[in-house]
Amino acid sequence: MGTTAIEGIPEDVARVDLDASRAILDVDASLYPLEALYGAAYVFIDRCYVFLDRPDPKTLRVVLTPKSLDGDASAALRAMVGELANELVSAAWRHQITQENRAQIEAVTMQAIAGAMGPPSLDDLEDFDFTEEAFEDPLGIAMSWEEKYAKKKEEGA
Amino acid sequence: MQLLDLRGKLDTRSQAFFRHRRIAADRNLITNLEGRWMVLSDADFARFATGGLEDGSALKAELSEKNFLREGWDEGAAREAIARRKGFLGYGPNLHVMVVTLRCNETCVYCHASRADMDAVDTDMSKETAEQSVDLALSSTSPGVTIEFQGGEPLVNFEVLKHIVHYAKEKNEEVGKTLEFTLVSNLALMDEEKLSFLLDHKVQICTSIDGPKELHDKQRKLPTLSSFDAVSHWIPIINQAYAERGLDPALYHVEALLTTTRAALPRWKEIVDTYADLGCRALFLRPIDPFGFAGKTKRTVEYPRAEYLEFYRNATDYILEKNRGGVQMIERFGAIFLTKILRGEDPNFLDIRSPAGAGIGQLAYSYDGSVYTCDEGRMLAAQGDDTFRLGHVASTRYRDIVGHPTVRAMVIASNLDSQPDCVSCTYNPYCGIQTTHNHKTQGSVFGRMRESNICAVHKGIQDYLFGKLADGEPHVLEAFERWTTIRSREHFLHEPSGT
Amino acid sequence: MTELRFHRALYRGEAVDEAIKTFDRYATLGRAEEDDYWVVRIEAASEARERRVADELSNFALGLTIRSRSA
Repeated sequence: MGTTAIEGIPEDVARVDLDASRAILDVDASLYPLEALYGAAYVFIDRCYVFLDRPDPKTLRVVLTPKSLDGDASAALRAMVGELANELVSAAWRHQITQENRAQIEAVTMQAIAGAMGPPSLDDLEDFDFTEEAFEDPLGIAMSWEEKYAKKKEEGA
Repeated sequence: MQLLDLRGKLDTRSQAFFRHRRIAADRNLITNLEGRWMVLSDADFARFATGGLEDGSALKAELSEKNFLREGWDEGAAREAIARRKGFLGYGPNLHVMVVTLRCNETCVYCHASRADMDAVDTDMSKETAEQSVDLALSSTSPGVTIEFQGGEPLVNFEVLKHIVHYAKEKNEEVGKTLEFTLVSNLALMDEEKLSFLLDHKVQICTSIDGPKELHDKQRKLPTLSSFDAVSHWIPIINQAYAERGLDPALYHVEALLTTTRAALPRWKEIVDTYADLGCRALFLRPIDPFGFAGKTKRTVEYPRAEYLEFYRNATDYILEKNRGGVQMIERFGAIFLTKILRGEDPNFLDIRSPAGAGIGQLAYSYDGSVYTCDEGRMLAAQGDDTFRLGHVASTRYRDIVGHPTVRAMVIASNLDSQPDCVSCTYNPYCGIQTTHNHKTQGSVFGRMRESNICAVHKGIQDYLFGKLADGEPHVLEAFERWTTIRSREHFLHEPSGT
Repeated sequence: MTELRFHRALYRGEAVDEAIKTFDRYATLGRAEEDDYWVVRIEAASEARERRVADELSNFALGLTIRSRSA
């Protein structure tokens, strides 16, 4: 693979392959959780072919091949690498924030959605699936009278 | 002063939670969890940051009173303030944008609306779809519902507009909401009969003015007439009609919006003067956005946000000067932030709150009955991106609309406390982001705020406002006080007749 | 012949299988396993077509992997 360095960035971190029209970014696996890697990679999936690799246990690799390239390919690929790097930092930090603030985020989200949805109507309740067993009932306490005694009644009849 | 100068002396035990931002030389803004704020000199900030406050000092007293100190921190006050700011979480969409047609008689360079030609009658909303849209809107858990007529040009499908007004009022007799109607129109198709209906049925009227005639006409083209002449003809007639009905002109008048294009940037004075000359007391200095045609014409209409902010500062300074001279005008963008800053209240502007209003504060109904999280989501669908479509008025229940996974994703993504940068930004208590904008410009609903035009604008405007507050000029503070006084326009409220 | 190597730590096997099923009408696809990789071999009428199938298959597998993690 004939790659060239991107100005200002060490070649072992980021490089472009102009023949194959793709950009490669290698990052330290200990700095970026997988969720961040996926989150950042997914942002490009509509305009690039995105390939992930792990060339060694300490390194995560993202290869971006734009689906179309107009104008200066080298500049476009460089910009793409920069955007990917920014997206990775953003995704990694967001992952950390979400973990630290999870309770607050969940509470606000629940309040927002519950406030908007309001209580279910009778029509909504009609569509609810109550068939799944919500709890174990070894003594048959939740059984209806008919369920509990129907067989005995048939035997007696 | 640099924070590095204080390294080694920083205290972390005396302060309650706070964020800080240097907004100018010798001006350090601090805000806390519940949105209280102070602007401190470098010396005072250093005292605060290093735990060097003198007992009995005015600075310490003010910091304590505003809940910036751990000693005596008033949890109840903080909780109450936060609850007040987040009151909108308790209920669902209050704004329901109904696109009654895509047909439009004007062609605007930045058109938001994915317009259609005047013979495209297949883009008119039917009465059946209109009724189903109203049924869905009145299912909202919000005690108040505003139906906003948009297009295209909504006056093109006036029959359905009237039908919605009649049907909604009739249905509301059973439902019992506080109902409002708003029309967003270029006014070029207005006539006495239409105006009479709108006035009799208390429909608020909102229009667009891009600046002086030559600029407005260049950006908003009518086939044969001047669009500026059309709008400037009707504004005084409508305002006069309100006055004749005994309504306070300061409160009841045609609202007008500006879309700031590149051509508008150097003409801030003319734009403000045009609004003043037309009797328009409120000006919303909106920057251009990437939706609709603006995405295609961005080479001619777009600009760096630093240039927009210079325009904003110049125009708002001029508006404040006009206020000082007795011409009362409001800049709406600033007023939204100031209401949160000065009053501790949220005016519920859906794009500037956390979480944002998409799906939980507003819904948009397309002419074909598709329901979207917001009007920007609808515009993206018109360009082939259905990401923000939630369902259809004929087949999707209200709870499935607002409980849609897309809505949930947008709520999480627009919660500033889950956003890098926003989580530590001093403007967190007052700000908001637009997830559709993030999606369009940066590829995900989360986006990256440092690279976001919306973030740049919000920070720039708030920097300007806090600078003005710190300057403390009496005429500015007095104007800001007026801008944040929320007076209800009760004339436009429709209550069920039984109330 | 074009070869794709999907690292097992980054791609779900089921996602790769699903991608193979989806794209096998466009090329001849073969599958193999190595310690660290799922390997997909692609043969088609031209190198350009192989490359295209490889690209689309990769995106598909990645998309399914990410979706399965959030489900």
